[in-house]
Amino acid sequence: MPGEPILECERLCKRFDATVAVDEVSFTLQRGDILGLVGENGAGKSTLIKLLGGEYALDSGRMVYRGRAIRWTNPSHALREGIAIVHQRPLLVESMSAAENIFLGKEDVTRLRLIDELTVGEKARALAARYPIYPGLDLQQPVAVLTAGEKQVVEILKGLSYDPEVLILDEPTASLPKEEADRLLALVRRLNEERHLTVVYISHKLGETLALCNRVMVLRNGGNVGVVKREGADRPTLIRMMMNSDLSEFYPPKASSEAGTPLLEVEELRSPTLHGVSLHVNAGEIVGLYGLMGAGMSEVARAVFGIAPITSGRIRLGKTGEVFERTHVDSMVARGVYLVPEDRHRFGLISTFSVRENTSLAHLDRCLPGALLDFARERRLVEAELAKVRVKYADTEQSIAELSGGNQQKVIVSRWLMQECSVFIVDDPTVGIDIGAKHDLYVLLRELTRQGKAVLMISSEITEIIGMADRLYTMRRGAITAELEGEAIHQQNVLENIL
Amino acid sequence: MNGTRETAAATTAPAAVSTAPSPARRAARFLRGMELLAIYVLIVAVVGVASDRFLSIENIANILRNTAIGGILALGLTIVMVTGDFDLSFGGAVSLLNLLALIGLDKGLNLYVVFALLIVGGVLWELINALLVVRLKMHAFIATIATMTMSKGFIFWITKGSTYYGSYPDNLTYLGRHAFLDVLPANALVFIVMAVAVYLLLDRSRFGRHLYAIGGNSEAATYVGIRVNRQRVVAYVLAGLCVGVATVTLCSKLATAPSTAGDGYQMTVISAAFLGAAAFRVGMVNVRGSILAIFILTTIENALIMLSVPFYFQFIVQALILIAAVTFVSRKNKKGAGPAIF
Repeated sequence: MPGEPILECERLCKRFDATVAVDEVSFTLQRGDILGLVGENGAGKSTLIKLLGGEYALDSGRMVYRGRAIRWTNPSHALREGIAIVHQRPLLVESMSAAENIFLGKEDVTRLRLIDELTVGEKARALAARYPIYPGLDLQQPVAVLTAGEKQVVEILKGLSYDPEVLILDEPTASLPKEEADRLLALVRRLNEERHLTVVYISHKLGETLALCNRVMVLRNGGNVGVVKREGADRPTLIRMMMNSDLSEFYPPKASSEAGTPLLEVEELRSPTLHGVSLHVNAGEIVGLYGLMGAGMSEVARAVFGIAPITSGRIRLGKTGEVFERTHVDSMVARGVYLVPEDRHRFGLISTFSVRENTSLAHLDRCLPGALLDFARERRLVEAELAKVRVKYADTEQSIAELSGGNQQKVIVSRWLMQECSVFIVDDPTVGIDIGAKHDLYVLLRELTRQGKAVLMISSEITEIIGMADRLYTMRRGAITAELEGEAIHQQNVLENIL
Repeated sequence: MNGTRETAAATTAPAAVSTAPSPARRAARFLRGMELLAIYVLIVAVVGVASDRFLSIENIANILRNTAIGGILALGLTIVMVTGDFDLSFGGAVSLLNLLALIGLDKGLNLYVVFALLIVGGVLWELINALLVVRLKMHAFIATIATMTMSKGFIFWITKGSTYYGSYPDNLTYLGRHAFLDVLPANALVFIVMAVAVYLLLDRSRFGRHLYAIGGNSEAATYVGIRVNRQRVVAYVLAGLCVGVATVTLCSKLATAPSTAGDGYQMTVISAAFLGAAAFRVGMVNVRGSILAIFILTTIENALIMLSVPFYFQFIVQALILIAAVTFVSRKNKKGAGPAIF
C-alpha cells in the first residue's frame, strides 16, 4: 500500500576506527517514496546506503523492514528481501558479457546443471526491453569494451533484474550522457508511479535531485541534518544545509602576508581529460583545487608531475624559470616539485618495505656517501624526518603495513620532505586518516608556506579545502570554472562552481 | 567532519615519538628473518654428527662445487624476481648456449672468444624475454614458457636429441674441474664473487633499492621517479649476464652438450628463489635468501647421499621444504599468500 512505511531506520551508527561515518541517523522510507540523499563527499551517504543494503553491518541502531525488525547478514540477504543497490562504480566482471553479468549467480540451469546460455541472452533482452534506458546497448558484448556510461546502465539493469521493492541508486547519472540520464530518470519516475517502486536517490546534481524526489534528506558529517519536502526546498536551502560553518579553529590560520612570486605556472594544459587548464601557485600560499570526483584535479597534478601525458600546454617553474612542454617525474623531483598522490595504498606505499625504506625511497642520494647505501645514516635521517611530523612507530625496521593510515600518510609526506621542496602538491592527503593526523598534516602544509614554499592542494572534502586554501580553483569536467580568493571562498560559492 | 569534535581531538593530538630502540628491539631487529639460517645450521650440525664424512674438507668442497652453477643462475633469477618479473627459460637457454659453445670450440674458435660470446648470448637471450615481457606486456610466465620451448626446439633441431660431443681445447675444463689448493673449486670462487657483487648491487645500492621498490609496488615506484620499465629491462640484462657466466662454468664442467644440460638446474633454482623469500627480507624474493636457499638445497641433496638415502628422497624432501617455507611466508604476511610475486 503506498504511503505505509516500508523501511524505518532508528539511530543507525557505523564507525571506522576513529571516524564516525554514520552517526545516529534516523528516517522512515515510505512505500512509493522517492527520497533524495545529498551531502558532501565524506558526509556518509555511501556508508548509509551500504548499511541499508547489507554491505556493512550496523554498529548500533535498528532497522524495521516491512514491519519486521531485520539485521542483514550479507548483501544477498537484502537483495532477496527486495533491497537492491546500484553502485556508483559498477561492480562488474569485465571479461563476461553484460547479459552474463546481469544474471550472475541466478542463471537458469539445464538438466545437466550447466548454465543455460540461451535463456541468459533472452532474459537479458527481455529485461532491456522492459526497462528501455539505453535501447541500443548490445548486451552480448563483454563489459570490458563498454564505456563508463554503458557499464552504469548494465549495473542498473542488474539491480532491476532482482525486481526490487526498494531501489537504491548511488549517483547513477554521474557518468551517463544527458540523453541516457534523462531516460533513466523518466524510467525511475514511471516505475515509481506504475509499480510503487521505492527509490533512494543519491546525487551531487541538486537540480536533478529536486526534480525527481518527493523528499530530500541532507547528511552532514554522518548525521541527518534534516529532511525537506520538495515543495519547501530549493538549491540554496540544500547547499546551506550541507554546509558546515564551524571550521575556524580546526584549520591553522591562513597566510597573513601577501603571496610571493609564482613558483608553478600552468598554461593551457590539455590532455584527453583536461581542456585547457591554466593556474599558478605562488610562494607562500596554499592553492586549492576542488571539484567533483572525476573533474580532473588529479589529472592536473599527474600531468604537472610528469606521470600523465600532456597533449599541449606549458608548465613553468618559477625557481629556475624553466618552461616545460613535457615533464618527467625525475626531472620534476630534481627541481623540488613533489607530489603526494591520491590513494596512498595504490600509488604511495610499498607494503613489502619497512618504515625506513618507505621513507628514504625518494631521496636515497642523501644516504649515499659513496657508491653504497649507508644504513646507519639512512636510519638517522629517517628518524629525524619522522619525528618532525610526529609519526608514531615502534622501529624503523618494522613493516609499513603495521602503521595506522594516518602514520602511513605521514611517512609518504616525509618521504618527500627529506629534501628541500619548492612546489608541494598533495592530492587528497587526508582520506581515511584520523583527526589528529589530519591536523598534523594541515599544520605541516601551513609551515611549508611560511618557509616560502608553494603548496597545491587537492581535496575531496569541501570543508577541508575551504579551511586550508588561500586561493581556490574550482573544476568541472576537466576545466577550471572559477578562481576564488579570500572571503569569496565559501561553500555556497564553491558548490555553485563545481555542480 | 564535525567542527567541534575535531577541535577537541586536535588539541589532544598525540605527541609520542619513537625514541632509541630498546635492547629487546635491537635483538628482534637482528634476529628478524634468521629462522631459515638457523635451520640450515641445525641441519649441518645434525648431519655432521650422523656422518663423519659430511664435514670433511673434500665434501665441503664438493658442496661448494655443486652449488656454484645453480647458485649463479639463482642470482640471475633473483634479480628478475625482485622486480616482480619471472624467468622460466634460463635452463633452456643454458642448454642451448652450451651446445652452441661446444660447436664453436669444435670448429676451432678461441676459448676466450667462446666464453665472451656465451655472456653476450645470455644477455641477448634475456633481452628477448625483456622485449616480450616489458615491451609487449606479456605475462612473464607465459613469455618465458614460450622462449623455453623455443630453446628446446633449436636444441633438438641441431642435435636430433642426442648428446653432442666435439673436440675442445684442454684448458676448457680448468674452471669447471679445478680447485685451488684442492679446497676451493674455481667455479665456486666465481659464484662467491658474483654473489657478493649482486648482494652489493641489490641490497646496498640505490639501483637495487629501486628494483625492490618496483617489485613491491610498481605504481608507487613510478611516483617517486623510478623509470620502471627501463629498470625491469636492466634486471633482465643482468640476469642474462648470470645465465652467460653460468653457461661458461657448466660448459667447462661438462665439456659435452646433453640436450637437457641446463634443465636439471631449472626447478632447483626456482625453488631456491621461493624458499629464499622465507629468509632475511621475509615475504620478498631477495639475494641473501636465494643464496642461503641454494646452499640449503644442495647441502640436503649431498647430505642424503652421505646418509645413503635413496636418491628419489631428495625430491620429496625438497618439495616438503618448499611447502613449509611458503606456508611460513604466507603466515607471516597475513595480506598476501606467499612471496610477493604472483
